[in-house]
Amino acid sequence: MDSLFGIPLTTILAVLLVLVAGIFGLLGWIAWRNPLLVKMGLRNLTRRKTQTALIVIGLMLSTLIISAAFATGDTVGYSVTNAAYNDYGEADVIGAFDREKADPSRDGLLQQDIDAVRAAFEGDPNVDAVTGVIRTPAPALNPTERLSEPSASFVGVDPATTDGFHQLIDQDGNLVTASELGPDEVYISQRLADDIRLNVGDTVRVQYGNQPYDFTVRAIVRDNALTAATALTSEQAAGGIVAPIERVREIAGEPDRVDLLVMSAKGGVRDSLEATKVVRDRLEEVIDAQGLPIQVISDKAQVVEIAELIGSVFVTFFLVFGLFSMAAGVMLIFLTFVMLAAERRSEMGMARAVGMKRLHLTESFIAEGMGYNLGSALIGALLGVGVAYLLILVLGNVFGDFGLSITFNANPIGFAISYLLGVVITFVTVAVSSWRSANLNIVRAIRDIPEPDTFRGHDRSLGRLVKASLGVVWMMLLWLLSAITFGGFAVVYFLLKRVPRVGRFVRKPGDWAGRQRNSGGWAVVMILVGVLATWWGGWVDQQAFAYTAGTTLVLFAIAMLASYFGAPTRATFAIMSTVIIWYWLLPMPFNLLANLGVLPEEAKGWGDPLDGLLSLVGLDHEPIVGNIEMFFVSGVCITAASTVFVIFNADRVLGSLGALQAVFRGITPAIRTAISYPLASKFRTGMALAMFTLVMFSLIVMATLNHNFTQLFLGDDAKGGFDVQASANVNNPIGDLRTALTEGGYDVDANISGIGTMTSTFWETKAASDPEDALAFYRFAGLDDSFLDLAKFPLSTRAVGFDSDEAVWDAVRNDPNVIVANESILSFTQSQNFGAGGEDQLTVEGSITDLQDNPWQPIDMTVIDDNGNERTMQIVGFVDSAIIGGVVPQWLALFVNAGVVADVQDANQDFFIVTKDESDQAVSDVAAAIESTLLDRGVQADSLTQRVNDAAAQSNAFSTLFVSFMSLGLIVGIAALGVISFRTVAERRQQIGMLRAIGYSRRLVAISFFLESSFIAIAGIGMGLILGGALSYNLMTSPDFTNGQEIHFSYPVGTILFIVGVAYVASAVMTLIPARSASRVAVAEALRYSA
Amino acid sequence: MPEPIIRVSNLVKTYHTGEVEVQALRGINIDVPAGEMLAIMGPSGCGKTTFLNCVSGIDDVTSGNVFIEGTDLASLNDDRKTEYRAKRMGFIFQFYNLLPVLSAVENVELPLLVSGTAPSEARRRAAAMLERVGLGAWSGHKPAQLSGGQRQRVTIARALVNDPAIIWADEPTGDLDSHTADEIMGLMQQLNRDQGQTFVIVTHDPGIAQRCHRIVHMRDGLIEREEVPAGAGAAAARG
Repeated sequence: MDSLFGIPLTTILAVLLVLVAGIFGLLGWIAWRNPLLVKMGLRNLTRRKTQTALIVIGLMLSTLIISAAFATGDTVGYSVTNAAYNDYGEADVIGAFDREKADPSRDGLLQQDIDAVRAAFEGDPNVDAVTGVIRTPAPALNPTERLSEPSASFVGVDPATTDGFHQLIDQDGNLVTASELGPDEVYISQRLADDIRLNVGDTVRVQYGNQPYDFTVRAIVRDNALTAATALTSEQAAGGIVAPIERVREIAGEPDRVDLLVMSAKGGVRDSLEATKVVRDRLEEVIDAQGLPIQVISDKAQVVEIAELIGSVFVTFFLVFGLFSMAAGVMLIFLTFVMLAAERRSEMGMARAVGMKRLHLTESFIAEGMGYNLGSALIGALLGVGVAYLLILVLGNVFGDFGLSITFNANPIGFAISYLLGVVITFVTVAVSSWRSANLNIVRAIRDIPEPDTFRGHDRSLGRLVKASLGVVWMMLLWLLSAITFGGFAVVYFLLKRVPRVGRFVRKPGDWAGRQRNSGGWAVVMILVGVLATWWGGWVDQQAFAYTAGTTLVLFAIAMLASYFGAPTRATFAIMSTVIIWYWLLPMPFNLLANLGVLPEEAKGWGDPLDGLLSLVGLDHEPIVGNIEMFFVSGVCITAASTVFVIFNADRVLGSLGALQAVFRGITPAIRTAISYPLASKFRTGMALAMFTLVMFSLIVMATLNHNFTQLFLGDDAKGGFDVQASANVNNPIGDLRTALTEGGYDVDANISGIGTMTSTFWETKAASDPEDALAFYRFAGLDDSFLDLAKFPLSTRAVGFDSDEAVWDAVRNDPNVIVANESILSFTQSQNFGAGGEDQLTVEGSITDLQDNPWQPIDMTVIDDNGNERTMQIVGFVDSAIIGGVVPQWLALFVNAGVVADVQDANQDFFIVTKDESDQAVSDVAAAIESTLLDRGVQADSLTQRVNDAAAQSNAFSTLFVSFMSLGLIVGIAALGVISFRTVAERRQQIGMLRAIGYSRRLVAISFFLESSFIAIAGIGMGLILGGALSYNLMTSPDFTNGQEIHFSYPVGTILFIVGVAYVASAVMTLIPARSASRVAVAEALRYSA
Repeated sequence: MPEPIIRVSNLVKTYHTGEVEVQALRGINIDVPAGEMLAIMGPSGCGKTTFLNCVSGIDDVTSGNVFIEGTDLASLNDDRKTEYRAKRMGFIFQFYNLLPVLSAVENVELPLLVSGTAPSEARRRAAAMLERVGLGAWSGHKPAQLSGGQRQRVTIARALVNDPAIIWADEPTGDLDSHTADEIMGLMQQLNRDQGQTFVIVTHDPGIAQRCHRIVHMRDGLIEREEVPAGAGAAAARG
């Protein structure tokens, strides 16, 4: 992998190195100027070892997640790239027949085309070899073992020109040549040899044109592009039988036939990418110049690029899904340092009283923080590689099903970036939290008096508010300039302040701004930024994250401003946080109110009240677009709002828990203290609660969405009403399956209820409404009457004039000009699928929700059949996406009447069967019996039930992988609980002593501390569960999110219970330890203790 | 002569600080009759607080015996000792040691809740006790909202709310100005007179000590001498 988010890794590394060098420079400067401060900071590291261990764990998690994401992405990228090199070997550019450029009488490449290319490249220094290959499907049998592979490829290679590719390599690694093969000898690719248990010297039977041909296996060769066995170059990856091209031509009865042009660029397997690009470009010039009927279908350079892109996509995915955990990690660092500062408040007050400046305290904290940081980032980066290794073990199994072998590979640049990024993130967080903590009132700190309400403004005049806003703007400006210059501006500003005479011109405005800032100023600036973001997201760039985050920021700021002007803080924030939660859960609240009759029916689906209001005056915005980042943005906003709500109202809720005291009289005092302490430390409790909620929210949403998408695309609906798919081999046509089976001795009537036939071919087509649009090949699937009778293909939308799904299917049955399409051809669907689409792709403008919401006329399509005749057909319906979820690739088609494609030569024939007994075993038995009966004909039969189950298992494996990765955040939440719990015991030793003195038993003390920590865990789990559950429901029932697909929403109860159980048990174990240590405090010593 | 409520014989307490052994109490013998208000004085480090901790059962003794109301504390396990403290003892500390997150009345009712009193009854009795120490109007305030004297009154209310037999007070006026200290001492004297509870008060302040029935002077972990203050007879007579 060479880049991330489009930025080269080396650039990222260089920037991070500069930043880290700056950080070390700063530390060195502090140590040089004030060695005592550094000593103070570093000595604090060893004051409390358990706490230090927890802090290190908390700090390293962000680095761990980044490192794991990089190592996983690198491994996937490396493995896919490796597979590309292995598959292609020295076959660098591959071309196939291009019907569009060919004489209508031609239906394939000929040897003369290959010879023309070879002649054109004669003497070209960039080309090592040019050859022609036949690759045609043919079932292979091992007659001795009675094993068959219906999807094998029969490959013909030219002995005179193939050797230059060095692709025929036997099991011992020796090059072999097709010229050694006798007339009845073949090479067998490794995969095919394994599948049907062939050894050197065995007989292999190839079925071609319904005739058997027996060959002796001379050698077993490696799977690669030339042996026609690889996943990347062939849909049919079942292995190949390699024979001299003349022998294959003789069997096929086509003396000059060639299927593929294969070229080897100058160089070996891995050093020919540049030459490959040159050769491809020149080949295309030659094709155009000579009018050859060839199109380049792939080249190795392109495939390697795609492979690297896949690796990059994996890193991006893991980083995005790791954002929740990283956010929780950053909050933990912040919380830790705020708590350390709280612990040392009196010390800091004393230090300030004897002359230390705020900056000195900040520097001391930074020294301490970096002491934790440097080690923990390294441990985190190393552990991240370990975690990636575990993930790869799981991924290996999933990818194994796709025929890709995964080899662990951690890139040193990725590792270095993870470490450096961890150091920088921690430094920034520590610096900000230290600066905040060092901002204390000396007298209050020494006397340990609580700080006043920071929201309330004392001077509420407009002038004061303007000054406060300017103070905030000044600070933000400094931050912005520092961020843009990667901290360079901050260093210059810092140094300038210390230059004699000049310094005061820099210091004065900064000092003035510092004195003016207050919550009112922050609120005003937040409103301005929020409005700007909302405007940009809604009316300029249509970005959902900016629009929604901006709106949320404005709402929070309004609450702050109201409180500043004297509104009751609790009520203000409670109302505003409720509004924000309501906003983020839209349209569910409107739907519920409409269902209850409080709002009219048309209120259902209202999801953007701001746009709704502005539309009244004609200022509504274009539809906005949200991508994967919205998952994170929604999580952060909704968690922040709900945490604020709970923190400002928990005393009311918990007050009602007083009723429990009557039930649990024995632990009444423990309940009393357990409830009171968390609410007294709102910031600390709020941060821990937010961390826990954020992580739980992300896990619940992820698990629920995966579960529902799996249900949606891989439920029973995906089988379309059929149980078995049987595909005929194009070189051994079946005709009527029922007859063929009966002739083979199979009792069809006893086992099969019905057989539908689909005949498909690829024709060029496009929407007739757009004359500029290019034609694109797309599968046309002709359905016979039996198929139409048996199929259960619900439609998601129908054209005007069709009152029911039956009416649409009747039209297909009776009208050769009617098409039923699927939504993957719609432009909106394509735009949602990570930018899929392009000139070669069939695209019809529109979205499924638009079609569902607005009556639409049949869509005219221009179709060019295989004879080059143009006709116009009409799309009159779109099938439900559950049907085209990937279980049967042939269903991703334009469905037409069987008669439309009846005359197509070499059309694919697939049979869809409904079995009498629908049990899994019976269906598998029918599939096996069909294959066995038609062994010689190469029919491949699969249980659709089995295919659905396998696909669901794969989907679940991916889901488990991502949920496991995201659950790393749980460690952050649990570490946070641990930090708080241990800290709480340390700072309350004296109070514990007092409680024990007045009669609290050890048990009561332990229960009190345990309940106190459990409050955070239970509240966090509960909030995450409710919010995650609500948002998931909202998303999965939103037509925009499911592209109009109606789903039967359900929660993965087992998975959720597991997540909740693990979260609670782990947090309980973590909090039990400090609770027990609290209960064992020696009373007399505790009473003497001074925190 | 009636059985003393507190009987201490040959009490020794040794601490180990690293490799250094500190003999805090070197063999204390003392009897305290029920209803007495006893002051313990002595220079810093003489073992006053250690003595209080050992005799009240919140610290273990190295050797010797402590009998409270005839029960040998050494015969009680931690739970029994804790239960005994909850029901029969009250504590007043120099720095109040109130829970900052609870209101005055909630702090006062804690010992009642610990000993199993129903919450509603506990609240009623705590409020009454606060009324008695002159803080009826302050019951809903948290410690941070109270003055030093008020906080110590809350501590006294908490110590007395369970109607204990013995009140242990460690420098109860040490953090107060002289006027407030005088008020607090007056309050304790009044409660001693009215309810007949035994008070053991550790103090540096001779003025406070002089208002008790007896003063024990300690030095280097031993009782140096005992003294009966001049006004003690009158105080005892009033008691």
